[in-house]
Amino acid sequence: MNLPRHRYGRRLTYGDYLYNFFATLTGLTVFNLEFVKQAFIPPYEIAEVKKHMTELGVKTLGIVSITGFIIGLVLAMQSQPVMQRFGASDFLPGMVSLSVVRELGPVITALIFAGRVSSGIGAELGSMRVTEQIDAMEVSAINPFNYLVVTRVIATTMILPILTVYVIMIAIIGSYLAIIIVEPMSFEYFRSSVVQSVEFGDFIPGVAKTFVFGYIVGLVGSYKGFTAEGGTEGVGRASTTSVVLASLLILIFDSVLVKISLWLWPTL
Amino acid sequence: MADIIVKTENLTKSFDELLVLKNISVQVERAENLIVFGKSGSGKSVLLKCIIGLMKPDSGNIYINNNKISDLSIKQLNTVRKDIGFLFQGAALYDSMTVRENLSFPLKRHFEEMTPKEIEDKVQYTLELVSLEEAIDKMPSELSGGMKKRIGLARSIITDPALMLYDEPTTGLDPITTKEISELILNLQKKFNMTSIVVTHDLICAEIIADRAIFLRDAHVAFEGKIEELTKSGDPFLKNFFSHEIVKV
Repeated sequence: MNLPRHRYGRRLTYGDYLYNFFATLTGLTVFNLEFVKQAFIPPYEIAEVKKHMTELGVKTLGIVSITGFIIGLVLAMQSQPVMQRFGASDFLPGMVSLSVVRELGPVITALIFAGRVSSGIGAELGSMRVTEQIDAMEVSAINPFNYLVVTRVIATTMILPILTVYVIMIAIIGSYLAIIIVEPMSFEYFRSSVVQSVEFGDFIPGVAKTFVFGYIVGLVGSYKGFTAEGGTEGVGRASTTSVVLASLLILIFDSVLVKISLWLWPTL
Repeated sequence: MADIIVKTENLTKSFDELLVLKNISVQVERAENLIVFGKSGSGKSVLLKCIIGLMKPDSGNIYINNNKISDLSIKQLNTVRKDIGFLFQGAALYDSMTVRENLSFPLKRHFEEMTPKEIEDKVQYTLELVSLEEAIDKMPSELSGGMKKRIGLARSIITDPALMLYDEPTTGLDPITTKEISELILNLQKKFNMTSIVVTHDLICAEIIADRAIFLRDAHVAFEGKIEELTKSGDPFLKNFFSHEIVKV
């Protein structure tokens, strides 16, 4: 198998990939510690956090709405024949809602969010890095980490749970539409079925983990952008690798967080 | 004794195997304009970035207003930086902000006591200095190369720095705009009694601005003196370097 070439012409080896992987993990860990340190250092850029939250919310609202609606719709369509086969059609609203609330809603929203936002942050900060805008901030005695990174990471951490709750609601509406296409069901019956099946406690682990996912999206995008090098090619690389890394970390952390939530609340 | 604003002592910097600066010792006096000449890749910009603290030298010392840069904490370094302006080669305007926001950004950060009216007045005044009042609501993407340099210059001087560092202020500009920008730099320097270090390989710019020049070659200071001495030097390399400067405005 022919491996791609290094930018200086040498063919990459598996060792290079391994080295890059661990270098990224180390860099991300150091960047994370720097975030924790800088987040408590004034000035606190609250206006900038609000601005990013609004921008990110508006930017992703359309795509997550469509995705949420389709998740609910398809999940109900796929499950309906199976539930009918087992004579459990009455449980369909509850089954779909639980799936969406506990797992599909948070994870799919986070992955869509990563694709839209992590790449955007990576490209924006990467572009600022290669055009010396970050250096310009630094020489003006303005802390670029605080102004650019801390604000974005806080904004992604805060906005993703809100988007997730919204997506869950849209997905449940989608599932209702899928059900009534096949068989008549009053909205009141559907609503009471959902409310009986989904307890408030089901929301907590699902929505709580989206704070972690939002943090990952902001941190990875910022890390890749802030450390970008190599001109426009570097900006492109920062953008694409942030999506891949953020998505991978979301899935890894999801499995860990599910295990932790089951350990903390075994009755759920 | 002259008031030394910037001093480097045996400054050495390399990137992996590539030695860029070796034992560079330079002094710049108050209100003096020093031009740093050299071929592309000769370490001119690296010298500026070491002075401002964007790059760490491998060895040697840098003093700004008698503050040894390597001994300063980031907080102390930022205090020193507040008195320094830096014009980047590509102007480095914040492209998500309008010209007004670009200029008011450092004021809002460093002069918290200023009212919005005072900030607006200062922005207007500084734009007048660079003759670009009409660009106040434009985005950087709507500006030409020369306009970007002027706005970059306006942003650098808006905090009234005592020291200005210019990284290739006229590169990529036509000879007329080059002359305009160079004269602007000189006028601002005279008006505000600034000290300037200008990295360039543009003779038009150098002849207008320079009080003194140094020439970097093979990681060393190959020449130091008046600009006329430099251009009339008998050194074959320098002769060859300046013989390509054919346009005089």
